[in-house]
Parts: sequence; C-alpha cells; structure tokens
Amino acid sequence: MTIVVGYVTGAPGEAAVEQALVEARRTGARLVVVNGTRGDAYVDTRFSQGADVDRLRSHLEASGVQHEVRQPLGPDVADLILDAAEEVGADLIVVGLRRRTPVGKLILGSTAQRVLLDAACPVLAVKP
Amino acid sequence: MGNIGHLADGFASALTPMNLMFACLGVLLGTAVGVLPGIGPAMTVALLLPVTYNVDAASAFIMFAGIYYGGMYGGSTTSILLNTPGESSSVVTAIEGNKMAKAGRAAQALATAAIGSFIAGAIGTALLALFAPTIATQAVKLGDPSYLAIMVLALVAVTAVLGSSKLRGFISLFLGLAIGLVGIDSVTGQSRLTFGIPLLSDGIDIVVVAVAIFAIGEALWVAAHLRRRPQEIVPVGRPWMGREDWRRSWKPWLRGTAYGFPFGAVPAGGAELPTFLSYVTERRLTKHPEEFGKGAIEGVAGPEAANNASAAGTLVPMLSLGLPTNATAAVMLAAMVGYGIDPGPTLFTSQSDLIWTLIASLFIGNLLLLVLNLPLAPVWARLLRTPRPYLYAGILFFASLGALAVNLQWFDLALLLVFGLLGLMMRRFGLPVLPLIIGVILGPRVESAMRKSLQLSSGDWSGLVSEPVAKIVYALIVLGAVGLLVVGRLRRPTTQEVTS
Amino acid sequence: MSADPNEDTNEVRPGVRARGATEGMSADPREVTSGATAAASPPARERDLSQLLLIGILAVLGVVVAVDASRLRNDFAKLDPVGPKAFPYAVAAALLVLAALLAVSVLRGSVPEAEEGEDIDLTQRADWTTVAKLVGVFVFLIATVNVLGWAISGALFFAGCSLTLGSRTWLRDLAIGTALSVATFYAFYSGLGVPLPAGILDGIL
Repeated sequence: MTIVVGYVTGAPGEAAVEQALVEARRTGARLVVVNGTRGDAYVDTRFSQGADVDRLRSHLEASGVQHEVRQPLGPDVADLILDAAEEVGADLIVVGLRRRTPVGKLILGSTAQRVLLDAACPVLAVKP
Repeated sequence: MGNIGHLADGFASALTPMNLMFACLGVLLGTAVGVLPGIGPAMTVALLLPVTYNVDAASAFIMFAGIYYGGMYGGSTTSILLNTPGESSSVVTAIEGNKMAKAGRAAQALATAAIGSFIAGAIGTALLALFAPTIATQAVKLGDPSYLAIMVLALVAVTAVLGSSKLRGFISLFLGLAIGLVGIDSVTGQSRLTFGIPLLSDGIDIVVVAVAIFAIGEALWVAAHLRRRPQEIVPVGRPWMGREDWRRSWKPWLRGTAYGFPFGAVPAGGAELPTFLSYVTERRLTKHPEEFGKGAIEGVAGPEAANNASAAGTLVPMLSLGLPTNATAAVMLAAMVGYGIDPGPTLFTSQSDLIWTLIASLFIGNLLLLVLNLPLAPVWARLLRTPRPYLYAGILFFASLGALAVNLQWFDLALLLVFGLLGLMMRRFGLPVLPLIIGVILGPRVESAMRKSLQLSSGDWSGLVSEPVAKIVYALIVLGAVGLLVVGRLRRPTTQEVTS
Repeated sequence: MSADPNEDTNEVRPGVRARGATEGMSADPREVTSGATAAASPPARERDLSQLLLIGILAVLGVVVAVDASRLRNDFAKLDPVGPKAFPYAVAAALLVLAALLAVSVLRGSVPEAEEGEDIDLTQRADWTTVAKLVGVFVFLIATVNVLGWAISGALFFAGCSLTLGSRTWLRDLAIGTALSVATFYAFYSGLGVPLPAGILDGIL
C-alpha cells in the first residue's frame, strides 16, 4: 500500500505529513512525499530546500516508516502530485489545506482543490 | 563657505512635501528593483526617463537619487538572503552575509548592511558636498584640450579597468561612439549615418538606447537562459543588532567608507576593488578570525559600507565634470541632457539650485532608506515570489512605453527592438554594457572638444596637448595602461582565492 | 471516486525519478555558490565560432561609418580644421581594427564570458525559440500600435510576453495587461501630458 503526500513548506504541509504518518503506521503503507514547484518565480517558499528538507527527511527517518521524497518541477503543482500518485499507484493522497480568503480562491487556483477533484483514489485533506 | 548656505537652500527645496514624496517613491522603487532579479537601478532610471517630460528637474533627480541608493540596498538584501549577488559589487557581501543568514543571523546581517550603508552614504555624501564644488571651480577654468583629455581618460579607464576582457570593452565603447555619431553634425549641418531617415536627424534618443540596452537586452537574455529551479531563501524577520554586533561593526563601517569613496571618485575605480580590499582588511584585523568563512559580521559591515561610499564617490566626477563612471550615473546624465541641461564643469554654476537640492536629497534618501527599509525587509523578501513571466513581461511593457513616449512614433519602438537585440548580442558575446552607454553619451562631447581644441591651434595636432593639465592626463593614461598590465596579472589570482 | 480503474495495473517502480530529482535539488545551490569561481576560470571549450557574427557586424559597421563619412564636405575648413569627417573616420578605423583583433583572438580560442545574473542559468542550453517568439510579439506591437492604439496593443503585448515566458493563465495575463495599458495611457495623458496613440479607441478613451 502506498500513500502520496502533497508537501509544502509550512503548517499545512507539516499537518499533511503528520496525518500521513499516522495513516502509514496504521496500515503499514509506504510514504511518497511530493514537494513540487512550478519554478516560475525566483523564490518559492513552499518548495523545501536546505535545512527545511533536511528536517523533513530526518523526521521521516525517525518515524521508521518506509518513505521517499520527490521534488519534481512542472507547470502545475497539482499535476505533479497526481502524476506521482498515478505512477506509484497510490491508495490515498494526503494534502494540507491553507486558509484562503474568498478573493484568494477566485484569483488563484487551489492545488488542494484540483487534487481533490481529479484524484483517482481517496483524498484526505488536513487542516493545520 | 557659501556652500553651507547652498546646502541649506538645497534642504529647503528638497523638504517640500512634493519632493519628499518623490524621495520616498524613489527609495522604495530603488530597493524593490534592487531586490528583484534581472532589473537594477540603471534600468529603472532608464525606464523612468519619460517622467522628465512633465516633472520638474529637481523632483525627478530626487527620485533618481533615491533609486540609486535604494538599488544598492536592495542588492545587498538579496545577496545576504539568497547568496546570488546581482552585481559584482555585492559579491563580497554575499560571502559572509549568506553564511550569517544560514546560521540564523540574517536579521543582524541585514541590519549591519543597512546601518553601514547609511553611515557610508552619509559620510560619502558629505565628502561629495565638500569636494565636488571645489573640483568644479577648478574644472571651469580648464580649456577644451584639458577637458578632452579628461574625457578620454574616463572613457579609457571605464573600458579598460572594469570588465574582464579589454578587447571586448573597447568593442563596446566604439559601438557606443558609432551610435553617438548618428544625427546632424552641429558645425556643418550635414547629416551623418541617418540613411535619409528624417527621424534620425536629431540623433538616436539616449532614452531609447539606454532602455533598449539595459531593459530589452536583459529581458531577452534572461528569456534565453531562464533559471528553472527556485533559489533557496533564508527566512527573515525584522533586522536588528545586539550590542556586540554594534561593537564589531562600527570600525569596519568607517574603514569601508574610507576605501569606497576615493575608489568611487576616480574614473573606473568602481566598487569591486574597494569592497574586496575592505573584506581582506577586516579579515586581517578581526578578533574573530575563526568566524570568517562561517559568517563574520565584519565581513558584511565593511564591504557594504565600501560599496555605498563608492556610490557616493561616483557622483563626484559626475556632478563636477559631467563624467559618468557607472551605469546609473550615465543614465542620470542622460536625463540631464533631456532637461536641456549641459552636463559639464559648469553644472555647479549654471544649475546651482538643482545640484544642491540633489545633494540634500541624497542625505534625505539615505535616511529614508534606513527608516523605511529596516521594518520592510520581510516585504522585500516576499517580492522575490513574483512569477518570472510577469516580471519580464512588465519590464518589456514599460520599456516599450518609455520608447514610445519619446516621439510617439512606432519608429522608436523599432529602434528599441534593434538596440535590444544588440544588447542581447552583447550579453551573449561578453561585451560589457557600460562602455557603450558612456560612449553614446560622451562621444559627441569628445568630438566637439577635439574640434574646438584644434580650432584654437588652427589644425595643428599639438593643440591637443597645449595645456599642462592635458599633458598630465595623457601621461596618466599611458602610465595607467602600463600599470594595468602589471596589476591585471597580480589581481586575478587573489580574487579567485577569496571567492572560492 | 473510490473505484480506481488503475488499481490492478499498479506497479511500484523504484524511485528513479526521486533520486534524479533530489540530485538536481542538491546540485543547484552549489552551482550558485561556485558560479563566481567557474566564471573566473573559463572551461576549456571548443572555439566559439558564433562570434564570427559579431566580427561581421563590427566590420560592416566600420565600413558603413567610413563610407558615410567619405561623402561629407568640410565647408568651413578655416573655422573648423578637423571637420565632420575626422571623428567618424577614427571610429570606423577603430571598429575595423577591433574586428580584426577579435577575429585573431577568436581563432586563437578566445571564448566570450557570457554575462551572468541572478536569474540566469548558464548551465542550460540557450533557449533561442523563446527569444524569437518574444521578438515576434514585439514586431506585432510595432505593427499595430498606431492602428489599435496603446491601450489594446500594449495589453496584448504584455499578455503575449508573459505567455511566451511560460505563464499559462492567459485570461489573467490579459486582465493584467489591460489594466496596465489603460492605467499608463491615462497616467501619461493627464499626468505627463503625453498623448499615447489611441488608435481605434480614439474618442472612447
């Protein structure tokens, strides 16, 4: 069994990883952590680098769950998660939800929303 | 000491609400573009040249001065938080600054850079106010032969000293001189290089050349080599410093200022060498040698101060002689030409009010930078998340707008594209941009000074060295050329050693 | 949603992509820090013969400047002994000499040090298609600005540039472009007293 986690630096991502670890321990599943970026800006704070990615790895290591961290680059972060899920044959996708204002929802397409709508397997959405 | 009085008058006119607003605008804009990748203060001033059509000269220059100092501040912010120095002058800051940031001392690194820049800027501007008028009063006495010699010195120095390949530097310079030839010859009224196009008879507008080379050339070059991976940024809160940081910073600030100002004031001294010298000095004098290479605050404080002091120093030849020695100063000079002001040794006498207002606004802008930017550092870091398509589309948009506004002719847009492609080619073939811009600006003045000098001697070439100052300057050029070959051999390995 | 048609055909592939991705990850920051040193010692590369283009441009420009100068007259030789020819001739000569010097140094293996920048990744191949498309968008602006006016042409120009540069939200791009072009039109008209071309919207704006 495989669980795909959509990870972003920050609280929603942490919450998603925590919840995925709970699920993984319960079911003995393998974790595939996907931290994608569009790479279209000079800086993407939701893309994990340096100390942050080290912390994520050591946290996963300490949990004892079988895992893998992917950091793909593509035009749509939701697609990156969905592609990874399809590739590993995920049984569950875990995503974190950000707080969004109504205007924010209007202007920016939400990654979590696209994953919820287009995923071929159950999706677990977690709030931090 | 009439200068104190002049300066007081300058403050009086710089402190009107309108001008203060322009100063704030300039400082904020300058910092923003300094932070943003791919766009710098020279490009920004170039993009803003259309404002010169309807804003009075003092207000426009107050804004440009803010952009000039602000750009430097923004550049140091990114080199500390991202370790990607945009300009060669902040390479040294990045060495220790980024290490400090990664060690969790980003706030202190930014604070020492900001306060150091403020102190260096304040001292530098004071020295500028002291020296520039004195030099100008001497300079107005110079005849055409001497003035020609000084311009030649500036051209040769900027071309040969800055940049890595002298051959490519001179290619850029002569491309600029050729562009400067276009238009009607002022003495005989014949058109040169206009190819029968009436729109070219006034010459190619410097706004179009500057915007094309800086903005279009850069945007196209970036489009060809777009970085795809995001950079690693160190998160930052509000910059602050503890007592220990202050104790370790103040001497490097002063020493850095002492290095930076003289280097900035001589043509082509640049900011690269003084920041480097400051770094080496601080590493030698520090009581914490073990911290160097791991994030020593002295290694940020000194070079940052040197960088800003050199920026102030650059304005000395610019305001006293009309000689721009860096890109932003060159574009500011172009703006003066746009106002119909003749940039040259007579600036201080003919445009006394404007110049003193500008100097006063440098003090004000410097203070505003410190007051506004310390709390705004996190906002500037957010700016880096602007998606690249919008950033570069915006640059291209405003560049076209600026060129179109010159004559409201599509022809200027076509020129913009042609010179933009030239700018792209220059970046591809490693031709430095600065000699070209300075060549375009100084070329016509060099020619006119040469013709006037030989007019005095009725065509005898010895007329070029008829004045003692001219003789001395030409001797300096020859000495410099010889010295450069020697220094060039010595300098490279040491720079390499530090940056690696 | 729970009925996954692909469920049976799943195969767990080893993390090839993952490893590739993490390598790319860790290589990038280093590449940034080593950028300065890499530039200081140019890599031993083949001769860069594309520089012949630059040499050609310099030579042609030198000839053009010289030919243009040769047809000038000096009517005021007494007053102006140098005349309008001397300076262009000097520039032309210098351009030709520099072209020759560059040719020699290129043939000897001189490689240009392409300009670095914060947003420039010189490790990749240059993407000239994007540049060509941008030039195309620019030509569109030049061709239409008088007919369509700045408000329309400028908006399309912005949207065209951002789409070329990799944006995928064309509606938003168009909205931002329109906002910018209309705002600048009015700012230049009332703020700076510069009437940008109104084109077909003349009378409406």
